[in-house]
Amino acid sequence: MAKQYDVLFRLLLLGDSGVGKTCLLCRFTDNEFHPSHISTIGVDFKMKTLLIDGIKVRIQIWDTAGQERYQTITKQYYRRAQGIFLVYDITSERSFQHIMKWASDVDEYAPDKVQKILVGNKSDEVDKRQVATEQGVKLAKAYGMDFFETSAFTNHNISETFTRLAEQVLAANKKDLDLLRTSINDELNLAALEEEEGLCDSAAGDQHKGCWC
Amino acid sequence: QVKVQCQKGIPASLRARCWPLLCGASNRMKQHENLYKALDEQPALQSWVDVIERDLDRQFPFHEMFQSKDGHGQRGLFRVLKAYTQYQPEDGYCQAQGPVAAVLLMNMPAQAFWCLVQISEQYLPGYYSPLLEGVLFDAAMLTWVLKKTCPAAHKHLQNHGVEPLMFATDWLMCLFTRHLPFNTLLRVWDLFFCYGVRVLLQVAAVLVRRVLGRAEQRKQCQGQMETLERLRGLCSGLFLYSSGILNSFCVVVGHAVFLGCKLSAIMFGWVAYVKITSTWMQGLKVCGSR
Repeated sequence: MAKQYDVLFRLLLLGDSGVGKTCLLCRFTDNEFHPSHISTIGVDFKMKTLLIDGIKVRIQIWDTAGQERYQTITKQYYRRAQGIFLVYDITSERSFQHIMKWASDVDEYAPDKVQKILVGNKSDEVDKRQVATEQGVKLAKAYGMDFFETSAFTNHNISETFTRLAEQVLAANKKDLDLLRTSINDELNLAALEEEEGLCDSAAGDQHKGCWC
Repeated sequence: QVKVQCQKGIPASLRARCWPLLCGASNRMKQHENLYKALDEQPALQSWVDVIERDLDRQFPFHEMFQSKDGHGQRGLFRVLKAYTQYQPEDGYCQAQGPVAAVLLMNMPAQAFWCLVQISEQYLPGYYSPLLEGVLFDAAMLTWVLKKTCPAAHKHLQNHGVEPLMFATDWLMCLFTRHLPFNTLLRVWDLFFCYGVRVLLQVAAVLVRRVLGRAEQRKQCQGQMETLERLRGLCSGLFLYSSGILNSFCVVVGHAVFLGCKLSAIMFGWVAYVKITSTWMQGLKVCGSR
């Protein structure tokens, strides 16, 4: 059976509890918004396939619990991620300050090559804003990341944010991508290759491994 | 005698009296007669108050009791969780305690705090502590239980790199509050208060077997994501359909399957029960699409 996608990779949503990580994800994958929902315990995930430059990109997005103690469980997902969303809530100064902590955890536990993007969610709540757009822009610049203000409620910048990170991950792995273009029929499962460290048999597999492990 | 009764299910009218007796909350309450009242009146750390308040409307958003911001459900939940952070300052508040406390409040508001204390300290030590060591340990235990009770499913999970922490963290930490139809949940809790954590592991194993027990089921889940989707989907499906008509349906099935069974038999009955509900749900979907 032909695979439904050409490339597969993992993205991870990080940020304080209550900043709207789950809502961002629901809006992106199902185009739904539930004002009342339940807090995430441990990890959850969703999938979506995007078409970028003619390539079918299957992304797994892991949604994590924001409370600090769940990091015991969520940290093991950092090293398997190719892209990471650092999310804060524009109505919470505290969640913005914590981005530094999240970013340093990512530096420590995620692969060096991981792509990051900064997201200021709840942009619709203008009256409650505590973090100015410029602050977000500045922080993103300092980290060398792209930055988006989003609203899962109004569907503002949602697909733009997810698509941008997906594009960045693709660009960062251009070598594999070019290989893919020459043999578009071969399945290139980046996530799986990464896990099979040292177990790749085929020559092609070895080439991927060189880039991914 | 008590255990046998618990296996049969505690009558709804007696549950509020039985749970605190079974778990030792009644004793603790007697020993520390005015402690909860005292804690309730004192202020707690603002950082805990903030976190708890953010979670109050994220427990049972569709349950009447917890819908309004200043309703007695959310207020009661706040008081219980806040008092726990004062009672056990090193542990503070863990988000998974929210749904557990909510279910306790639905059943016996007066003893909810002490039941939560007993669950967190005696039944599930280390489940809500800052390092979650109890959860990590029981996730490993679940692997072992699966290996013993359903080796084929266990092997499938291993082959596809699916670990219990990926699908069962919230099952265990929330004691299935978000995953089972309410009447079934109460029956599972009856057993839990009687037998402790192994009930949670057994229910988890039954759920896994329900999804991956048969060879053709495993064949359909070729990959980590496909497997995880099935495991997570099973519960959200039940969760979605748990209100209304399905509930009354559960009661009937529950009685037929559960009555007079031994613990293991109950868990096997469970498989049958879940099968019936899911077939029934598929029927519903077909009707809906027409």
